[in-house]
Parts: sequence; C-alpha cells; structure tokens
Amino acid sequence: MCSARLIMPELNRQYHEGVKIEVDFNPCMKHKLVRKTVREFAEAELGPIAHEIDAEARFPLEVIEKMRPLNFFGLQVPRRFGGADIDSISYAITIEEISRVSGAVGLCVTVHNSVGVFPILKFATEEQKQRFIPKLASGEHIGAFCLTEANAGSDASGVETHAVLDGNGYIINGTKIFVTNGGICSIPLIFAIADPGKPSASASVFIVEKHMPGFSVGEIEDLCGMRANPVSSLFLEDCRVPEENLLGKVGDGMKIGFAALDTGRIGIGAQAVGIAQAAFEASVKYSRERQQFSKPISSFQSVQNILADMATQIDASRLLVYRVCALKDSGKPFSKEASMAKLFCSSAASMITGQAVQIHGGYGYSKEYDVERYFRDAKVTEIYEGTSEIQRMVISRNVLAEPM
Amino acid sequence: MLKMIVCMKQVPMVTELPWDAKTGTLKRELSEGMMNPACKHALEAALRLKHEHKGHITAITMGPPMAEEILREAIAMGVDRCLMLSDKKMAGADTLVTSYTLARAIEIFCADFDLILCGCHTSDSETAQVGPQLAEELDIPGIAYVEDVQINSRIITIKRLSDNFLETLEMDMPGLITLTTRNYAPRYTPIAGLQDAFDEPNILVVSADDLGLDEAFIGISGSPTMILDVYSPTAQKKNIVMQGTPKKIVEELLERFDDRIGSVIRKDLKVEK
Repeated sequence: MCSARLIMPELNRQYHEGVKIEVDFNPCMKHKLVRKTVREFAEAELGPIAHEIDAEARFPLEVIEKMRPLNFFGLQVPRRFGGADIDSISYAITIEEISRVSGAVGLCVTVHNSVGVFPILKFATEEQKQRFIPKLASGEHIGAFCLTEANAGSDASGVETHAVLDGNGYIINGTKIFVTNGGICSIPLIFAIADPGKPSASASVFIVEKHMPGFSVGEIEDLCGMRANPVSSLFLEDCRVPEENLLGKVGDGMKIGFAALDTGRIGIGAQAVGIAQAAFEASVKYSRERQQFSKPISSFQSVQNILADMATQIDASRLLVYRVCALKDSGKPFSKEASMAKLFCSSAASMITGQAVQIHGGYGYSKEYDVERYFRDAKVTEIYEGTSEIQRMVISRNVLAEPM
Repeated sequence: MLKMIVCMKQVPMVTELPWDAKTGTLKRELSEGMMNPACKHALEAALRLKHEHKGHITAITMGPPMAEEILREAIAMGVDRCLMLSDKKMAGADTLVTSYTLARAIEIFCADFDLILCGCHTSDSETAQVGPQLAEELDIPGIAYVEDVQINSRIITIKRLSDNFLETLEMDMPGLITLTTRNYAPRYTPIAGLQDAFDEPNILVVSADDLGLDEAFIGISGSPTMILDVYSPTAQKKNIVMQGTPKKIVEELLERFDDRIGSVIRKDLKVEK
C-alpha cells in the first residue's frame, strides 16, 4: 500500500567522507523495484498459506524451494559464491516484504543470511568460504546461529557448551535451545567455550555439519508466535568437529558473536517493520469497512488517532533501519545504530500489532483474522537477537563512551 | 540466432489506481508504475523462445523517464538489450502515432528482427491497437491474441482462441504477435538479476531527433484520435449457485475456472489435473 512509496535515505559520498550530511528521502528506482518484486513473490506464494502454516506450525518447504533460485538465501553473498550481492537497504526491504506476509518465513531468511552466513563470510578462511558459502547461498544448506542455552542468553559468557581439543579436532558437548531454523538447518554455527575457567576469553564458534556423529536436533518448540519457523533445540554429544571447522581462532567467539548480532539486528528491525506494516494495512482496511453507530469506525477520532500513531511509528522505524543500512554499506561502525533500530522497531511493532487487534475488536482476537498472528509474531522481535534490555545496554554504553 | 523484440508499456499499478471521481480520469502522477501484465506475458514467451532457440531479446518502451523501471525489470528477467523512446515531443501519442514511432525506432535500431512480441492490450487503456498497427507500419504479418507460439525453422506457429475455437495459424518470419495473459505466466525476477539490472547502464535512450521524426507526426500534435470520454467498464455480475457435495462443488469450480484461478495462483491447473 503506502510502503512502496516510502523512502530510502541514501547518504551521499560526502557524508561518508564526514563532510556534510545530505539525505535523499526518495526511494531510488532499484529499491522500488526490489520492493515490488519481493512483494509480488510473497503475496503470491506466501499470502495464500501464511495463515495455515502458522496454524499448523508447518515450515513451507515448497515455497523455500521456489525461493532458492531467486537468491533469497544469498542476498548479500558475493557473486563468486553464487549470491546476489545486494546492498543493505535492498536487503532490509526484502526482509520487510517477506515478513509483511509471513513473519516466520521472513525470520528464516534473515537469520540464515545475517547470523547464519555473514559470520562465515566475514571471519572464515578462503578455504572455509569455498567449502560452505556456495551451498548456503543457493539455499541448499540452511544456516543457524546457536548461542542461547538454558542458562545463557543475554549473558553470552554463561555458555556451558564446551569444546575440548582432541588431536586435530574438538569434541563438543552441550545443548543449544531456541535455535531459529533449528529443525531445518544443516550448517549451524555453534558457540562454545574452550576453557571453563575463562569463558569469555575462550569462547569460540564452530561450523558444525548436520551429518557429524553426535549432532542431533530436538523437538520443535511450541511457541506463541513465529510458529511456522522450526525453532528447536540442538544437541551435541561428544560431537567431533575437525579443526578446519573452527571459525576464526579459539577465543574469537565474542568478537564473532557481536559482529553477527549487529548484522542480525538490522534484519530483525526490518522484520518488525514488515509485521507492523501488515497490521497497519489490515487496520486501515478494517476501519474503513467496519460500521458502528451507522458510520465506518475510521470516522471516529479515537480510531483515527491510533492510525496516525501507527503510521508515524512505522515511518520512523523504517528510517532507522535504512539509516543503519546506509551506515553499514559505507563501512562505518553501526553497532549503536543497529541496536537503536532493533529496539525501536520491535517495540513499535509490538505496540502497533496490539493496537491492530484493538481496532479489530472481537474479530481481532479471533484466529480467523490475521492480526492476532501479527500480534503474536511481533512480540518476539523484542526478545530475540538481543532483548530490548540488552539493546538499551549497547546503546547506553556507546552513548556514555562518546565525548561530550 | 532468433532475434526478438518485446514491446512493453508501463501502466499504473492495478492495486492502487487513484481515480479522480470528478473527472473520471486516472491520476497518473499519484500511482506507482508496473509492467503491463500482457506485456509481461509476452516477455515470458520471448524468454522461453530465447532459451529454446538461443535467441536475443531487445525490449522497447515508449514513455516518460520513470518508465525506465520496467526496462530494468526486463533486464533482471533476462532481456539482452533495451531501447527507451523518451521525449516530451512524443507525449500524448495515440495508438496510431505510438505504432508509427515504434516502427521507425525498430527500423533504425533493430531492423533485422525475426519476431516482435507485444501484449495484446494494456490494462490502462485497453485499446489492443498498438500491436496490429505496428505490424501494418512495418509491413509484416501479424497475429493478435496469441496463446501459444512455437518456432520451426523460419515458420512461426501459433495457437489462439477465436470465438471459442482453437485456431492454429502459421506465419513467415519476420512477423508480429500479441499475447494474451492466459498462458506464459511470467517468471519471478531473481534478486541477483535486479542488482545486475542496475549495475549496468545498458539502456539506450532515444529522442525524436535521434529518430529524425517530424514533430508534426508524433506526440499529441500528430495524433488524430480524439478522446470523448473515459469510463470504468460496468461489471456485469451474475451469481452462480453450485450444488452438491463440497468435493463435487470444488471440482466443478476448478473445472470451470481453472485458467483464471491458475493465473492468479501462478499454477497451470490443467497440467496438475
């Protein structure tokens, strides 16, 4: 509806050089076309099943199959590895448009591309990239990032999964929980510590392959939202991982984790914008149609106020996401801005989807309408890829470190 | 090598047609553009022929600068070369003058074509005239409302529905066909293709002067058509009541509307049956 016309701040070269800021709020032709293209696909392929896959908690492999040749799984992967190599704003628009139709499939795509593939692109050796990236970029393999454990989430140093050096490999033991894409991933990145005495300093990331003995997938979690994504536990029992599957060095875990999460947060911000947009569009449509007191409810100021707030929040969310994308592509640090975008977009999405249910009244609370799905899906954007509390921590740390 | 030309037009997006209730006309400046659906089906037919016969496709559009978007989309989908006829002097052209302008551009820039493919009509004006008139302008054979096209040596074989009869016609090259939207459901555009389409500035923009065209024969000044009125077609709704078990009703529904349902969900239901 309106999002196709909303805006892409393209910071010009001078800003990158730190001279002045010049912002173009008109979307460029490429970004408009990316939006139309992805929207067309999502509405045609995911639109008819989005409700059903949520109700049945079914991952739509048949659609994933169609997404593979269209480069959805190698969005920012260089051409030499078979990716699309698109800019970050195009990436955000892609995630936004998939999530506008199905948050759970948007989640699969963003987690795969950001925290699943990006760390390998950034930290792997050339040999590792050659081995893993092409099959990830084609979507033949689906990626996942496994940090969370029963006793470790926001505090990454609480990870108990440990890796013990054994000859030319590592023996890994531990259990990862709430792994997005867990049920379908074939190359999960496993976060483990090498020295229990020094968890942070010895944290490391291993590229585990599904076929490795000792690796297994747990039951799919029964979650409130994002039900079409096979979120699960992963078990590593004496899982032997060869040395050549260690990403970076022993002790690089925190560095890799933070870099991955910064990127991941852009995707979750974009996902939240997409879900909020869907809730907003549904609310505008419904409020025009629904008659009470012989008038459409959109003629009441109380409803108009809600719609105005929704539109404003979505606009601001989208600008924050595109701003961090522009920063990332210019090579500047973007950790604080990624956290700001993720924090703002997720809380806006949570609020907007709640308001959408309110506008729909009893129907909004019914499973017959999509808004209750948006409401359930939006909530978790405030939790995963760093809770809102953690985002505030990241932002405040940055703010306090800046010179007055 | 099979040399094809696909003529395409940018039309306002169907989902957001902003009509001016007072004048009954379209507020074009407010709408997002898209590739006319029938043109996209024509492009898909060309892409399949290209794959089959190692062809080469030139996409041509005439329109304002924003129409560049559909040519970029065409590149992303697989065309090899783009020609954009864009000039204020060409604005306001009726179908006759549009065909005339397109024909002159084709004669200059791709005279050695084998086949021209057009959409059978556009969603914003529905005249269905430009394709057939273009064939006349170029003095080549043309067939409108084509649903299937095959090529064997230098013969173009097409199928089309005419008064509920399925006709098979043959035509020598070079020729022109206009395609309906019943077959050739367009492929999705790969994201990498979109990136490529904008990385390479391979669109040739052509002005009236480049074509050596006299202003008196193009644009609004050259157009003899007078538009008296524009109105929305009135829908003739008819309720159909289907009876029987749900299974039987669904089967009957699919039987009667398989092509329409299929084109919406992008599946060839005839094949699936």
